[in-house]
Amino acid sequence: MVIYLKAGGQLRKMLKPDIDYYTRKVEIDGEKTVTDILKTIAIDSAYIAFIYADGKVRDFSFKPSDGQIITLQPPVSGG
Amino acid sequence: MGDGLAGTTIRINLSTGEIKKYPTDSQLMRDWFGGRGAIAKILYDEVPRNADPFGPENLFILTAGVMSGCFIPAGAKVEFGSVSPLTNGHGDSNMGGHLGPALKYAGYDMVIFSGISPKPVYLYIDDDRVELRDAAAYWGMGSLECEPVMKADLGEDFEIATIGPAGENLIRFSCITHDYGRQAGRTGQGAVMGSKKLKAIAVRGSNSLKVHDLANLTKYVTDIIKRTKTHPNMAPWQKYGTAFFIDWSNKNAVLPTRNFQTTFYENIDGINGEQLVEKCLITHKACFGCWMNCGKYTKAILPGRQVVYLEGPEYETGALCGSNLGMTDINQVAYINWLMDNVGIDTMSGGGVVAFAMECFQRGLITEKDLEGHTLNWGSVDDTEHFVKMVVERRGIGDLFAGGTKRAAEVISQGSEKFAMQVKGQEMSGYDGRYAPGMLLAYMTCDIGAHHNRAWTITVDMAEGRETIEGRAKVVVYLQHIRPLFDCWCICRLFWGELDIEPEEIVQSLNYVTGWNIDTAEALKTSEKIWNLVRCHYLERNPANGRTFDYPPARSWEDKIPSGPGEGKGLSFAQIEAMLDDYYACRGWDKNGNPSREVLHDLKLDFAADNLEKIGLLGKPLPEGIPEVRGARYKPKAF
Repeated sequence: MVIYLKAGGQLRKMLKPDIDYYTRKVEIDGEKTVTDILKTIAIDSAYIAFIYADGKVRDFSFKPSDGQIITLQPPVSGG
Repeated sequence: MGDGLAGTTIRINLSTGEIKKYPTDSQLMRDWFGGRGAIAKILYDEVPRNADPFGPENLFILTAGVMSGCFIPAGAKVEFGSVSPLTNGHGDSNMGGHLGPALKYAGYDMVIFSGISPKPVYLYIDDDRVELRDAAAYWGMGSLECEPVMKADLGEDFEIATIGPAGENLIRFSCITHDYGRQAGRTGQGAVMGSKKLKAIAVRGSNSLKVHDLANLTKYVTDIIKRTKTHPNMAPWQKYGTAFFIDWSNKNAVLPTRNFQTTFYENIDGINGEQLVEKCLITHKACFGCWMNCGKYTKAILPGRQVVYLEGPEYETGALCGSNLGMTDINQVAYINWLMDNVGIDTMSGGGVVAFAMECFQRGLITEKDLEGHTLNWGSVDDTEHFVKMVVERRGIGDLFAGGTKRAAEVISQGSEKFAMQVKGQEMSGYDGRYAPGMLLAYMTCDIGAHHNRAWTITVDMAEGRETIEGRAKVVVYLQHIRPLFDCWCICRLFWGELDIEPEEIVQSLNYVTGWNIDTAEALKTSEKIWNLVRCHYLERNPANGRTFDYPPARSWEDKIPSGPGEGKGLSFAQIEAMLDDYYACRGWDKNGNPSREVLHDLKLDFAADNLEKIGLLGKPLPEGIPEVRGARYKPKAF
């Protein structure tokens, strides 16, 4: 199945978008957690403050469904 | 064509009540970029070096800079400045809301107060009408209480900034509050207002501003607006603000916990952003010209107490009044946030001061006898409230803490200096630097005392290696030049800095507003000039080698992190010394931390070099010439 990861800032550079400026398409086999998905594309989850999908904050154990858009939120650089 | 300026500056002698208007010095604004830069130059030129921060010779300045109020996203800032009663050096602090634009719409770029009023007054500005008015009816009111009362008296369309009882009582970390919860918190600007018997500033403006190239500015900024609306991080920002990052800090071993004793908080689930949204959030709140609406209007409900309404807690307050005080429920954090806002103390320094006192109590350095029979335990709202009132009212030992942690530790002594978590007298922000060396260096070298706003490096530390210090000085110097530009131009760093808007785009927007036609390199170099002038000012007021003032408290190297994901991690004193050496070398300062004539000359600060030379603090000549990285755009290897 396919999911779409979005990110801005430093995370965007790590994500290496291929669909548009912020978005990378990732193909995965079956259900996987965000943690597992990030591992497959070699992004260290330490750089992600939280996951945001369908208007809600999600845990790293969240399993996206086919076609779902997942936003990776970087930490604020000083609150 | 215009230049974004309103055109008029006001000078007010509070001792005599004299109010003078004169054309804004557009060359000063151009050479020093307005905002923080113009404030730095005026303070340097006009405040005698031996002037008491609470005396009549200190100035208190507010300015909305060149971009605030223009057709610019998040052009909402107003900058305050004076010699800081907390650090005894240049102090500045800013806030969003609507006051800055209102000041410019009334026709004024800057207001400069001198002297001390014989009685409490407030500044009333209604376009051309500028008056000092009696503030007896408001004196003694809490900040959050005073604003709606003044609006009821003057009109809802007045923008009002107030101080609370803390400012009136010269608590050195007092803040200025506006818009029901926006604060200029750092460096004790509220205390300077209090020392001048200036309770509030009320402004209504109905004029317009002219920019240099409206057509191109409109087109350029509209493109930026469109882009930010679709930026993936915008929606989470709007919904959650900054409070949601506290979990991340906890997971990554930087969250100050119980006065920075450790960096991992076991009760994080009770005080994090999810709890804020679930238990406290009423609605979202934005500043002038911003759709990021990072402000969260909330309520705090605690058994046995009235329900209170506030803006926040955002990240810094959540960390410094949450985990750092051992609070276990978000309603407790929100209540303390309200308490500090209303009495008018900075929640960052306030959180730091209460945490320091709690650790003193934990270690038996202060006792119930000192606290009027009360305890001061971690996680206790009752204890915190009682102690804060002791400080604000200067009762008993509270008077000792009214000067901040550094002054209190100097009196308490018995080793307490080690855990007074401040640099240059200002309490640290909501990040522990023991496992983030760049962040620690940023605190150490920050020009206004420990503060994250000038440089925040934690993801760089993660990428470059958290146990190494190599390369960190260059990053800190670069950030210390780029980030303060927002405070010069009076636009919001969160909006312009977190949404992939490049520095070149900000500079281009500035050029369309002002017609200055500068490039990013010039912007960085002017920012460097301001940084060096502030350093010179600090040394001239506190005449000792600069290095003396740049050390963090000994906890930073003596104590390894005792728990959580950072357990056992920490820096050595040798690493701290090496970071300072690297930093001074990057800046073109000598090993004593004193700016060299070569660098000051390059920045057209020969007058400051002459002044340093007179007091024997001019840096030694640089045998290898001016360093390369200084002032240049720099990105760390990892990014």
